[in-house]
Amino acid sequence: MEQGLLPPLAGRLGGKAPRSDRRPGEPRGIGLIYLAPAFVLYAAFTLVPLVHAFDLSFFQWDGITKGTFVGLENYRSFFTDPVIRSSYLHTLVLIVFFSFLPISIGLFLAALLSRIRIRGLTFFRTVLFLPVIITNVVVAIAWAWIYAPDGPLNSILSAIGLGEFTRAWLGDFRWALPSVGLVGTWGEFGFCMILFIAGVMKIPASLYEAARVDGAGPVREFFAVTLPGLRNELTVILVLTVIDALSTFDLIYVMTSGGPGTATSVPAFQVYSRAFLTNQVGSAAAIGITLMLIVFAVSFGITRVMERGEE
Amino acid sequence: MSGTPRTQVVINYMLLIVFSAIAVYPLVGVVLASLYPPETQPSGFALPSSFHFGNYASAWTSGNFSMYFRSSVIVSVVVVVVSTALSILGGFALGTMRFRGSKLLFYVFLLGMIIPFEAIVVPLYYDLRALRMTNTYWALILPEISGSVAFGVFWMRAFFLSAPRSLIEAASIDGASSWNVLWRVLVPFGRPAILTLVVLTFSGSWSEFFLPLVMTTDPKYMTAPAALSVFSGQHTTNVPLLSAGAVIVVLPVVIVYVFTQREFIRGMLSGALKG
Amino acid sequence: MVARMVRGWFAVLTVVTAAALAASCSVTPGSSRGPASAPAAPATVGVTETGPVTLTVWDQESGQVSKVWDQLNAEFQQKYPNVTIKRVRRSLGDLKTSLKLAISGPNPPDVVEANQGWPDMGQMVKAGLLLPLDNYAKAYGWSTRVSANVNAVSSFTPDGKQFGTGSLFGFTDKGELIGVFYNKTKLEKLGLAVPTTFAEFEQALAIAKQSGEVPIAFGNLDRFGGIHEFAAVQDRIAPVSYLTDFIFGRQGANLSFDTAQNLQAAGILQDWARKGYFTAGFNGVGYDNTLAKFVKGEGVFMITGNWIVADLGQNSTDFGFILMPPMQAGDPPVTTGGPGFPLAITAATKHPDAAAAYIDWMTNSHSDELLLPTGQIPLAKGADTSSVSPDTLLGQVRTAADATNRANGLVPYEDWATPTMYDTMSAAVQELMGMQITPQQFVDKNQKDYAAFQKSRP
Repeated sequence: MEQGLLPPLAGRLGGKAPRSDRRPGEPRGIGLIYLAPAFVLYAAFTLVPLVHAFDLSFFQWDGITKGTFVGLENYRSFFTDPVIRSSYLHTLVLIVFFSFLPISIGLFLAALLSRIRIRGLTFFRTVLFLPVIITNVVVAIAWAWIYAPDGPLNSILSAIGLGEFTRAWLGDFRWALPSVGLVGTWGEFGFCMILFIAGVMKIPASLYEAARVDGAGPVREFFAVTLPGLRNELTVILVLTVIDALSTFDLIYVMTSGGPGTATSVPAFQVYSRAFLTNQVGSAAAIGITLMLIVFAVSFGITRVMERGEE
Repeated sequence: MSGTPRTQVVINYMLLIVFSAIAVYPLVGVVLASLYPPETQPSGFALPSSFHFGNYASAWTSGNFSMYFRSSVIVSVVVVVVSTALSILGGFALGTMRFRGSKLLFYVFLLGMIIPFEAIVVPLYYDLRALRMTNTYWALILPEISGSVAFGVFWMRAFFLSAPRSLIEAASIDGASSWNVLWRVLVPFGRPAILTLVVLTFSGSWSEFFLPLVMTTDPKYMTAPAALSVFSGQHTTNVPLLSAGAVIVVLPVVIVYVFTQREFIRGMLSGALKG
Repeated sequence: MVARMVRGWFAVLTVVTAAALAASCSVTPGSSRGPASAPAAPATVGVTETGPVTLTVWDQESGQVSKVWDQLNAEFQQKYPNVTIKRVRRSLGDLKTSLKLAISGPNPPDVVEANQGWPDMGQMVKAGLLLPLDNYAKAYGWSTRVSANVNAVSSFTPDGKQFGTGSLFGFTDKGELIGVFYNKTKLEKLGLAVPTTFAEFEQALAIAKQSGEVPIAFGNLDRFGGIHEFAAVQDRIAPVSYLTDFIFGRQGANLSFDTAQNLQAAGILQDWARKGYFTAGFNGVGYDNTLAKFVKGEGVFMITGNWIVADLGQNSTDFGFILMPPMQAGDPPVTTGGPGFPLAITAATKHPDAAAAYIDWMTNSHSDELLLPTGQIPLAKGADTSSVSPDTLLGQVRTAADATNRANGLVPYEDWATPTMYDTMSAAVQELMGMQITPQQFVDKNQKDYAAFQKSRP
């Protein structure tokens, strides 16, 4: 699920200065020449549209006729439009499913599995990482079938005697969003597990021994040694999964189209819907910019908090 | 310490097996469903009485998936080749050379990695439309390269930064130009990192959905995932046919992943924590 | 030297980028396009061009109707060998999404099925994207082929400001209407007669529910079905003249959705949902799935449009059709319906005359003949209906349609009332039937949308 896998921001964000100098005889700016092609494409198709998005967000435009300047009106709707407000609230729910749940599962399993050598780890890693790599649209179609009124989930529930819990999951006002969230949990937990297991193996055994000498049980060990030792991995996973939750589009579009009603609408879907369905292009641009600012804030916030805890 | 080591080992393996089963079930379910007779309801747990591979033939021909597949191949191959090349060049520059503006440019690229696509898709669409470029492969290739190059430069820079200095020194002493140092020495050395980048870029490009959905309404230029979503809206009652289409769409990504997974996962794990 | 060049490039790049940014910051997006000018009346009808002509046609037909379209297209290409028809089929949802963008972008189609009403056709007319068809209507006789209010629904003033009058922007002679299909076997089994009043209908629902049947087969995952369920009830409570004026926006802000009758209708619909009269979990079930199940015998009634006749079988003796029964027996027939999707010509086409000839071909009596078995009702005056026996399912639909048409009881689709009404109302119906909002809140949401639109109209 990690299409466009985003930055591992852990650790040395600022980067060390390159060590080698230019070779004799080469022009001073040779580095710029190497960088130019990448930069030109990046500027033309990411930076320029971004600036243009700012511009569009100050207009009310239907995409075809002339637009009207409305200043900050589109941004004010963040506070006045209940649909936009609820779409952001929905991402908070998704963060729980995309981030907290998989991380907890991953931590729990990593702690449990760290003590023994696992035979066939490569096989398990391959399988567990599969959900991360599978095309989102296919994931959505597979899970839409699982959640269907006559699909496997309801079949299992009936089979084990929980028949009264069966329902049309994706059409249920209360359960549609958690259902989509669960797909996210499924998509992310393997990644968490693998990263944490690998991370735990890097923790020096001496730390564990020291803790045991101090009389710590397995729970104390976890909080005193394992968790701090996984700090870098945690930061990376937190940022990646939270950004994933905030910018979810594919799953929502294919599984629920934001419905029932607006129960599963999220900002990314609002951008699409307003820009291309209801001819509110300026509003769509504003939502996109707001989403970006929130992503920035969250990324920096998480890395700052994690770095501070390092002391 | 709970239980004897033996019990713990058994529990651990069982946990791994259960979670692995959960991880693959949806994919396995879809493959199973694609083998059912068309217009029937797959149960999700039982094998069909006979395997209907005809669903794949239908999806490929009358479902037009051969056309969508072709579009996806064209777009993804171009994106991977160009993006990887540009990322190597850019990452080499930022990772081994000092020059004016390098720090600023690094931050500019870093920015690109956290700009969500939703922020730029709207103006990108209307700009490309004004240039009469919507409904072409370029409308997909160029933005995808732009997006993947931000991460690619960051990734290759991190790799080059960690390359042993001795390697570069040895080559420079021989009087090699930076171009030769890059392609003759560092790239062969960096195969794992580059492989990981290629796999990530390929899977990202192949699976890209939002961009083709917006940019291409002509089925001739639609890539597979976007076409699949349109297809699913038109065939809600024919689950086996839809599943066959889904398997066709996801197969290349799974194949590439399975063939490279050892190196790829190793590369991901180590690269994820480098600065 | 290279160093200076490179530093120069860097400087130039920065300046150019900054300039581009500055320039893009002050541009008002979009351009004003006046209304499209009407093409001149053709000297002769039919395709007169002799060179190769390609007509790209966008439509949302499926099933049996789609097959007939393929046949009609083949016949048209046989008649005019220099013409190639390129047909692009979409689902209704996709058509609503992509059509406006497609016809305002590069390489637009020539002929499109354009949904009437403010959200789709109204926006396209306002943006000058469709050609006024009045001259073609005169040349081909479209204005006399159907009654005036059939063409009214596809008409707008060329500036896009008033709906229901002005120039003709799309033409069709096929009609649709919403009604109640019933499963004859099930009714007999439950000992019920075909209901003739609203009260009898509700009683039938209750008895069906008690006996463990699904009273109303209904799936609203696709969202459009809910609007029809609401309209079916509303049409029997609110007066026809009010509904028509409301939807056409004829009295501007003087009309409101917040009326006692609309409130009552909403209450009844929610009550039915609460009593479990609809398919279980209907908000998560798709329309196509529901229809397939109804055909196989799941559900006593299904409230939907005549387009399912093809799936049920025009000569079917297992299913019957009635309009939603009136409050009092003998009340005049009323239901939601009217012309189906009209065919429109885009302003960017290079072959308007050929496109007009195509439209005429797809709406002449030959097409009526081929499409009749699929349940498409010809609204052409003097259409030959002798081939259909009134006892068959298709016959029942025809009879109901004729009666309603003659009594002027056809109410247009309510989601045509404002550019955003489809989204607002379909979501609101989902919430109403899902017990998430009260009938008053339902009425308020729709009124808010309506009032905002009326206020924005100059």
